[in-house]
Amino acid sequence: MASELRYVGKPASRDDAIDKVTGAARYTHDLTVPGMLHAALVTSPHAFARIVRVDTSAADALPGVRAILTGNGLCYRLGLYLQDKCILARGVVRYQGEPVVAVAADTLDIAREACRLVEVEYEPLDPVLDPRDALEKGAPLVHPDLHTYAHMEGVYFPESGTNIAHHQKVRKGDVDAAFASADVTLTAKFYNPPVQHVPMETHAAIAQALPGGRAEIWTSSQSPYTVRHLMSVCFDVPHANIRVHVPYVGGGFGGKAGLHLEPLAYVLSKAAAGRPVKVVATREEEFNTLPSRQGLHSTVEIGADRDGTIVSLKATYVWDAGAYADYGVNVGRAAAYSGAGPYVVPNCWIDSYVVYTNKIFGTAYRGFGHLEVLWGIERAIDMMTRKLDMDPVEFRRANLLREGETTITGEPFTAGHGSPVECLDAVARAIDWGTPSQPPPEPHKVRGKGIAMLHKAPAMPTYTSCAVVIKLDEDGAADLLVSGVDYGQGTYTVLRQIAAEELKIPIEKVHVTWECDTAFSPYDWQTVASRFAYMGGNAIIEAAADCLRQIRDVAARALDVAPNEIVCDDGAAFVKGQPDRRIAYAQLALGYTFENGNSIGGPVIGHGRYIATGLTHLDPKTGQGLPAQYWTYGAHGVEVEVDTQTGEIEILDIATALDAGKVLNPKLCVGQIVGGVVQGLGSALWEGFQFDENGRFLNPAFVDYKIPTAKDLPKRSQQILLENPQPGGPYGARGIAEHPMISVPSAVGNALFDAVGIEFTTLPLSYERILLRIREESEGA
Amino acid sequence: MHKIALTVNGQTERATVPASMTLLELLREPLHLTGTKEGCGIGECGACTVLLDGVPVTACLVLAVEADGCEVRTIEGEAGNGELSALQKAFIDAGAVQCGFCTPGMVMSARALLERNPNPSDDEIVEAVAGNLCRCTGYEAILQAVRLAAGRLQAKDEAADLLNARGTGTESVGGGKPDGK
Amino acid sequence: MLGAFDYVRAHSVDGACDLLAEAGGDASILAGGTDLLVEIRNGLRSPKLLLDVKSIDELARFEVDGPEVIIGAAVPLNVLVEHRAIRTSLPALADAAFSVGTYQIRNRATLTGNVCNASPAADTAPVLLCLDAHVSVVSPSGRRAISIGELFTGVKRTCLTPDEIVTDIRIHAPTGGTRTAFLKQQRIRGHDLAVVNVAGSYAPDTEMLKVAVGSCAPTPVLLEPIDVSGNSLESIGNRVITLAEAATSPISDVRASAAYRRAVLPVLLRRLLDRLLDGRGGL
Repeated sequence: MASELRYVGKPASRDDAIDKVTGAARYTHDLTVPGMLHAALVTSPHAFARIVRVDTSAADALPGVRAILTGNGLCYRLGLYLQDKCILARGVVRYQGEPVVAVAADTLDIAREACRLVEVEYEPLDPVLDPRDALEKGAPLVHPDLHTYAHMEGVYFPESGTNIAHHQKVRKGDVDAAFASADVTLTAKFYNPPVQHVPMETHAAIAQALPGGRAEIWTSSQSPYTVRHLMSVCFDVPHANIRVHVPYVGGGFGGKAGLHLEPLAYVLSKAAAGRPVKVVATREEEFNTLPSRQGLHSTVEIGADRDGTIVSLKATYVWDAGAYADYGVNVGRAAAYSGAGPYVVPNCWIDSYVVYTNKIFGTAYRGFGHLEVLWGIERAIDMMTRKLDMDPVEFRRANLLREGETTITGEPFTAGHGSPVECLDAVARAIDWGTPSQPPPEPHKVRGKGIAMLHKAPAMPTYTSCAVVIKLDEDGAADLLVSGVDYGQGTYTVLRQIAAEELKIPIEKVHVTWECDTAFSPYDWQTVASRFAYMGGNAIIEAAADCLRQIRDVAARALDVAPNEIVCDDGAAFVKGQPDRRIAYAQLALGYTFENGNSIGGPVIGHGRYIATGLTHLDPKTGQGLPAQYWTYGAHGVEVEVDTQTGEIEILDIATALDAGKVLNPKLCVGQIVGGVVQGLGSALWEGFQFDENGRFLNPAFVDYKIPTAKDLPKRSQQILLENPQPGGPYGARGIAEHPMISVPSAVGNALFDAVGIEFTTLPLSYERILLRIREESEGA
Repeated sequence: MHKIALTVNGQTERATVPASMTLLELLREPLHLTGTKEGCGIGECGACTVLLDGVPVTACLVLAVEADGCEVRTIEGEAGNGELSALQKAFIDAGAVQCGFCTPGMVMSARALLERNPNPSDDEIVEAVAGNLCRCTGYEAILQAVRLAAGRLQAKDEAADLLNARGTGTESVGGGKPDGK
Repeated sequence: MLGAFDYVRAHSVDGACDLLAEAGGDASILAGGTDLLVEIRNGLRSPKLLLDVKSIDELARFEVDGPEVIIGAAVPLNVLVEHRAIRTSLPALADAAFSVGTYQIRNRATLTGNVCNASPAADTAPVLLCLDAHVSVVSPSGRRAISIGELFTGVKRTCLTPDEIVTDIRIHAPTGGTRTAFLKQQRIRGHDLAVVNVAGSYAPDTEMLKVAVGSCAPTPVLLEPIDVSGNSLESIGNRVITLAEAATSPISDVRASAAYRRAVLPVLLRRLLDRLLDGRGGL
């Protein structure tokens, strides 16, 4: 329909904002349930140790303690893709910070005091802390019983007798021959440390064990149905036994997908005679106990011809999964099929290993491996341009995927994919690429510009689905029931816009029931992967059509015409060409009553759903297949200024271009980009876990884990949204939620080369790292 | 245990508290004012910002007993008579709210700023909220919200001044009599 | 709850001394609490009693007009940061106080607290050392003044005894023309602890330069004073750097490596001297 859209594409404001600006919004942190107990944890001081003895007698005796649990009584195995984790450590601890004992008590103070009274004796073992060491023959095995763990067969391949939780491959063409005949080759190594999501609301869950093997859970989560499913599998009860509520969520960024504190809260409740138990992570626990983004060691080799054509690319990704696989195996999988960047690579060989170590484990994190992979790829691409003496923008333009080309997994690239080239050109223009930076006034400062590409598709199972329900109120307003979660990204507002557009009612009359409740809200896989606006949007369109069909049917009978003669607009159904013969939705929402009292129809409730279409498993030997529902491409252009005496780096300008397909809400899209870029700068310049030689976490607090504040913003941040429509997307839209942070570090690293002539390969690009390298280079010269 | 009395959002509250209870715990638990959040417990993130005798402080590092006899204002007191304040409206209009967890602390820091400095510069706005961490918005929209609120309040004051001036019969400012003559 | 302690508010210096004496070493003084309460929460300190001194009038003194600047122990840092007279005549003190923490923290934290916490990285210590500040102390044995140089005895240790209360910090009112400057290297522009911090004061009438360095030794360190007359900026800088390197021993910790600290220290010192001796900053 070419006519002007009323709501979609407009900067509609969120209707949840009023709860948030008044303090009325209640998050799991704020909830109380009658009879609720509070939990505290005893965590391991050792990276790897046998648990020799646990003495809880003194803690037990403390008045107000209602339950104390150790791993001994909890022989459950958990894991989204690979069941390698227990609720509390059993027999052995695998990372410093791992929960060993949990206490539920009348107050948090009593629970904490009880924890202080617990005695645990450990026999420390030699930890393996570097995943490259963990790959060596003879390395200590983090999971000696790996072969006994259930896992998603045919998708993940843990290698027993090793620390390899999964190995994903891409094999395309003949890399050996291609490298041998390439004019120029390059090999470089890169490193990303683990980082944390740092949601402002830490993880929290309340669980109540109900009679008959049932549970009711309130949790700060991105995935209520996954919580339900994994609880059902873990405790071997029907799905209907587990009810999950998700109230307002104070940020997720991937860290609140999957299952975290819920099983612990549940077993504590069971042990406490069914009293509800609330577990809230302290900020230190959020860093040191709850999961992180995996660290990554990459080796990237590129072969190119003198004319600037990439002929081959080989990459080895060694993911630091930490102690448990969690989402890490899927990150490793996605890293392989995405792992050559958005380029035409005729000969490609990728090995992506997800490797256990005795450190805090990794989970999903915004970008799902793509920031880490593109740090290596985009830096290596830039290094290749030095060898070829080619302009970094020109080299990329020549090699980017275009219509008619094929990805490294054999997926044909079409016009419907969007345009990486346009994104590249947009950021190059935005930062005036080709014109050197203005020299800074201070002689000890230098400036430089850099560009990086980004791409990502949702890394989701081939059967990912979403369902929504729309029910009409007595006054013709619409309520949307969804169980995707809006944890700040604004998707509920976008769904309201789509529903208003499709139902032809004012957006003020469209509401989303904020709290998800698996008892009432229909199924959604998980709110991750930048897929909710796409899949939820499509489901809303279908549900709205269902509502309109019901409305037209009843209106037709009421107005005594055929249903195809009924038109819906402005909140009413009327006869085509005769707008006076109309019935407002309000008169149809609960059925229609004739003058004589006869009633027809009934409450209007529409449902819609969407399932991923056309995705295939990846061939375990070659990685070939169709993993992506849609790709979103983009680019960053960055200008930096460096103080060569202190290493301080400032971002003068950062331009981000994304091919959004259709900008459903410009205010929200810009909000995602501005926020994602700043989060990306965190990864680029300041963030990274530090461990001592024993694997102990050294910076689990804001004092020494710095995230950007309002003083750390780029001088200028530009957001460029392109709209090459995505076939199959709602109004042509693609997801863009993760993409704004993905290549920020790469672009900054590339700009740094331009500024100081040094190739940085390790993140974060801290002032210290920058200065010491500058000194090293100038001393070497 | 200590008996304390303090004003919270204009209401007198009395409580008997242990010495080691923080003001944050007092607000969130016995007083059920959960709008003020705990983000870190060590004064680094600003999520627990409240106004204590008019100045913003991190409530996690103030003992409840220290607040005895003081006036505390929290996010729940920001809207008056059921009407959102200019700041609250500006946060909504500027798109300054995403997950919302930092929002109460941000609004309180901004409220304190506009009370002491109704016409802040951009640098002054940054300084006022630099102690409030946000992971979602990237701060730009929040800074814009404060600018917007300051601008609207200035305009409202100027309009109020104009009305006052007309009402007292002094020379009207700008353009003629109401009937257009 | 943060811990298991009791709380009492003192209303006079003598009253506070009595309460401290009764507590027999198990009490901690509570002014801003922004260091103390964090340490209690983290289990690093467990006093049985917190003695709140914010209601003692004498500790609220803040005088800038007399022969001495007197900053009472209970005066929050923001008062210093925002006071016009401090900004103009002792800008380094205002800058150092500003850098201690966020706006919210500075509404509670105090100069005395920053000093008595005695972190090697205390931001206000280097400038107080340059200004030869004194700490006024009361105990049952009477009153005494301790020069700031004698106060710091080690990492987070002072020479104060458990029965002593600091009532104020005093700085001789700067003579006309005295310039002060403060510089701090952080890891980020947002609030942060110092990786290195330095302060200096220069009196043009005597041509005496004083420089102090923080975060590079177990305590903040005052270098020996330098008579700059007749010397070029560069040679003064060389001399200051030599003295500073001899007097400090930077370590590697979670914040920074010793190599980075050693690399940045001379840079900050030269920039400090630019401000003090080159017609910029100060008066």
